[in-house]
Amino acid sequence: MNDALAVDATGIVKSFGAVRAVDGISVRVAPGEVYGVLGPNGAGKTTFLRMLFGLIRPDEGTLRVFGRSWDADGTDVLEGVAGFIEAPRFYPYLTGRQNLVALARLDGAHVGRDGRSGLIEQVLETVDLTDRADRRVDGYSYGMRQRLGVAASLLRKPRLLVLDEPANGLDPAGIRDMRLLVKRLADSGLTVLLSSHNMEEVEEICDNVTIMNQGAVAFHGSIADLRAMAPDPGHLVDTGDNAAALAIAARHPVKTETDADGILHVAGPSDVVAAYVADVVAAGIALRQFTPTQTPLEALFFMLTHTEAVHR
Amino acid sequence: MSTATITPPTNATTPARARARAGFGAALGFELRKLRAQWRTRAVLLGALLLPIPVAFAIHAQGNPPKDSLFGRYATTNGFALALLVLGYAGQWVLPLLTAIVAGDIFASEDHHGTWKTILTRSVSRSAFFSAKTVASMAFAVLTLLILAASTIVTSVLVAGHSDVIGLSGQLIPAAHAWRLVGASWLSTIPPTLAFTGLAVLLSVWSRNAAVGIAAPVVIGFILQLVGSMGSAEALRPYLPTTAYEAWHGFLAAPSFAGPFVTGVIASVAWTALTLGLAWTLLRRRDITGG
Repeated sequence: MNDALAVDATGIVKSFGAVRAVDGISVRVAPGEVYGVLGPNGAGKTTFLRMLFGLIRPDEGTLRVFGRSWDADGTDVLEGVAGFIEAPRFYPYLTGRQNLVALARLDGAHVGRDGRSGLIEQVLETVDLTDRADRRVDGYSYGMRQRLGVAASLLRKPRLLVLDEPANGLDPAGIRDMRLLVKRLADSGLTVLLSSHNMEEVEEICDNVTIMNQGAVAFHGSIADLRAMAPDPGHLVDTGDNAAALAIAARHPVKTETDADGILHVAGPSDVVAAYVADVVAAGIALRQFTPTQTPLEALFFMLTHTEAVHR
Repeated sequence: MSTATITPPTNATTPARARARAGFGAALGFELRKLRAQWRTRAVLLGALLLPIPVAFAIHAQGNPPKDSLFGRYATTNGFALALLVLGYAGQWVLPLLTAIVAGDIFASEDHHGTWKTILTRSVSRSAFFSAKTVASMAFAVLTLLILAASTIVTSVLVAGHSDVIGLSGQLIPAAHAWRLVGASWLSTIPPTLAFTGLAVLLSVWSRNAAVGIAAPVVIGFILQLVGSMGSAEALRPYLPTTAYEAWHGFLAAPSFAGPFVTGVIASVAWTALTLGLAWTLLRRRDITGG
């Protein structure tokens, strides 16, 4: 059992009426891996995670978690698994601590009547909610609920932590701190399965990734493989004489397009684009704008998720 | 969170978790803990304890007793009659409503709060949660009924006295015996109340809406009373849970008879089994796509 994949999903299909939400995807996550499931909204990421937790059953395919399946093992599948789907939800009339105490007892943990056991205190400290643990959850901000969701997951001392868009809805500082938290959890040896629609987040945190589009797998592989496939970075270039700047571009190995406003879109390796811009300036053309557009991985993500899904 | 320092969990700091297998007991404790924390639960229990007091005083203070109601003629002068008069009204809508306040909400509230995914991702099966919620609802129903009964009987006797009471056949029932009969009459409403608990559970699971789960059992109760009063539905009448609320009449006749009570118990068990069976079927098959 210890050698089993953390997640071994093969040919998973799930339809809701005429809509095929998940269309034959296969995902394999090794123990200790930090794995990203990436895709735009409606790609089927959350449906897949709901099946992993047994909230919905696949129409076809096999799904094993640490070697256990829902059909054979029932809720034993969730032994060592924790996380949340979409935004974590709690009982608003209870405090954060009371919610954690109730959930800990549900897990079979022994918690004192006052809820101040080491178990609760440690997870509260981990997500930095100790000071606000005795407030009712209906007074929590979105970010605090996200962190309470992580705390509730850690109560189970999981081997596999499943997080569905944990930074969704957070402000920039909250996103930074949530990513930091997830990275540190991953560094502690946890297997992390992270769903996101943010390429930058997955690139920053994950080792391997499955990109989903319209319920199917559009890409499956390592972040390194993804980077290798990525197109050159793009830039917006606006000058005092865009026609002359375009002529200079012909002397450099860059791709150029001119949009309706006459602004140049220049794509190429960073050093080549930098040399091109230097030539433009050296030619006495005023440079008004030089702005990076999408990162290469963002551009690739856009390409993969705005075309027909491809099984790999 | 922007200024927070997050402590990375390590094996040393990650909390140890007891390996006890969660199941029905844990789920029941979870449900009871939530019920205790809700003001609505406490308000219902407090209401069951205190409301009979003004009701008893109000009836006792009437110059003309409600003679058209069962035991109404003696309700202003006899505490046992007063407690039975209140029981007659309680069986019409109060008891179905009191049990529906929890049973009609206990499943739907998980949809309302979006917490199905919170509890069903923690190694506790749907069957354990279904059983725990159902048992918690039934325990609440019985507790509320017992508090209401005790409060009503005690208040009625204190307000209107505890002299011998005239039975339904005109016989005189000694006070010592009347205590037992009045108590038994109130207790006889437990089976139909549990049948309404099952109905409220079904509506809570089906509708995913607490308002429907709470209000619909009362409305259905009125409809069943109407059906029971129709001559063409005479054959159905003994098997309606609303009829079981009247089974205590036989205890106060001379000679007393328990046939309607036994039929009422059987009918209530059948209603309970049917509604809970349907509710479980719905919940078991359901895809948790929202909450």
